[in-house]
Amino acid sequence: MSDRPSDSVDPLLSICLAGAKQSFSAGDELVCEYQIDAIDPADIQAVEVSVVWYTEGKGEEDMGVHYFERRLPSDAEDGDLRPMRRLRTRLPNSPLSYAGAILTIRWCIRLRVFMRRRGDSVMEYPFTLGAVPLRVPAVA
Amino acid sequence: MARLFRFLEKKRGRRRTGSNLAGSVGEAVFCGTLFLLGVLALTALVAAQVVRYDAQSLAIGVGWWLVFLVLSSFVVIGGVGLIRTALRVSASAERRGAMARQASELDIVREATPRPKNYPTVPSYDGLTNSPGIELAYRLPPSSTPGWRLLATTLFTLAWNGVACVLAVWTVQGHLAGQPDWFLTAFLVPFLAFGVWSVRYLLLQIWLHNGMGLTTVEISDCPLVPGRNYQVAIAQHGHITVKSLELWLVCEEEATYRQGTDIRTEVRRVYEERLWSHRDFRIEPSEPFQATAPMPIPATAMHSFHSAHNSVNWKLVVRGEVANWPAFERGFSIVVYPGEATLRVEVSANVARSALRPQLSVTSTPTGASA
Repeated sequence: MSDRPSDSVDPLLSICLAGAKQSFSAGDELVCEYQIDAIDPADIQAVEVSVVWYTEGKGEEDMGVHYFERRLPSDAEDGDLRPMRRLRTRLPNSPLSYAGAILTIRWCIRLRVFMRRRGDSVMEYPFTLGAVPLRVPAVA
Repeated sequence: MARLFRFLEKKRGRRRTGSNLAGSVGEAVFCGTLFLLGVLALTALVAAQVVRYDAQSLAIGVGWWLVFLVLSSFVVIGGVGLIRTALRVSASAERRGAMARQASELDIVREATPRPKNYPTVPSYDGLTNSPGIELAYRLPPSSTPGWRLLATTLFTLAWNGVACVLAVWTVQGHLAGQPDWFLTAFLVPFLAFGVWSVRYLLLQIWLHNGMGLTTVEISDCPLVPGRNYQVAIAQHGHITVKSLELWLVCEEEATYRQGTDIRTEVRRVYEERLWSHRDFRIEPSEPFQATAPMPIPATAMHSFHSAHNSVNWKLVVRGEVANWPAFERGFSIVVYPGEATLRVEVSANVARSALRPQLSVTSTPTGASA
């Protein structure tokens, strides 16, 4: 039995891509649904959902936002931001997912929930854009 | 006590030993104090001039304007720092990114320039198409201009040797007067030696810049698309006997990162293919060497990419070995757009790319950005 107070338990975040598709072509429409659970609706201050790319590797991390939506309790019916909501966006032609020698480019759907007095909770759902080969051709 | 208050903080990537919130508060206090100090002092300075006008103190070269500029810089630096800190604390990284994207979409000049739409992070190729070629459509500008390097070397050599001359005169005078300064004499020897080396290096640069002759590269189209074939033309000028001249298609990844207080850049070559080579020939000033070669871009090549700290750069590199000259290498940047083979996902590619996908991650930060 945990001695942590019940309000310190992280909320349950879920993201579901339509058709369980995890690789997309440039220009494809990305459709997903997200939902928040195991939290009192009054405890949610704001919800942000975004489709972003970010870099990993030797260099400092760079990030680009393709889609962004921020919702406050006043934007929802009865002020409840927990029910399932659909996100729909057409993906751009670049940057394509890439795994290089010192640079990796990744795409993900990021769901961030801001809670009153408890900071935020984040969930990422990765996917790939385009089909650049995993292994770059060797230097001759 | 050490647990409550650390004098030194450590940082490894995103992780740090200190509190982000405490850091942000400290930064806000510093910027706010600077801003407040600047505003109060600037107000006092201007008010004093308004109440008791003194034309003499406003003359150019007198300290009033210098104080005015310094206090104005306090206001600007403090104000900008305060706004940046407030934005960072009050908004998530995605929200800041979305705001930055909205701001960049208002770029009127960018809108006015015709270019393929919906290709974010692919660098602009405006600078590559504004110079028409003689053999082919576009003449490429060199990646790095030797003129700037030459200017920097010249200024450094002049400054170093100027100081060396002053020290040399001072030392010799001491010896002639019978009061030699042996410490200064010992210090002067390596100082002069480095001065001689810098003069030699400068002369070598001038020799390379003026004597080697111009290299020009032209391409048949821009931007380039993977899976298609293009033509490239090379012309080498000068009065030289060439042992070998090669043209390479190269792709490099570039990453900029902080190490302590230094900013470092690492470049890794991930693809190179020799397009053309020629050996043992002579170039006369009246007749520059010219050649044309096919330039196929690999169908599955990664496109050119540019972000704040990372990039994927494609370029054409000319490498030469010339009799009685040091070997040289000259680069010419090109822009490669995403190709058909990489834009479309095949069913089999899903399996191949599964290794690229990290596991789902859920993180919770008790003191993250506030809503």
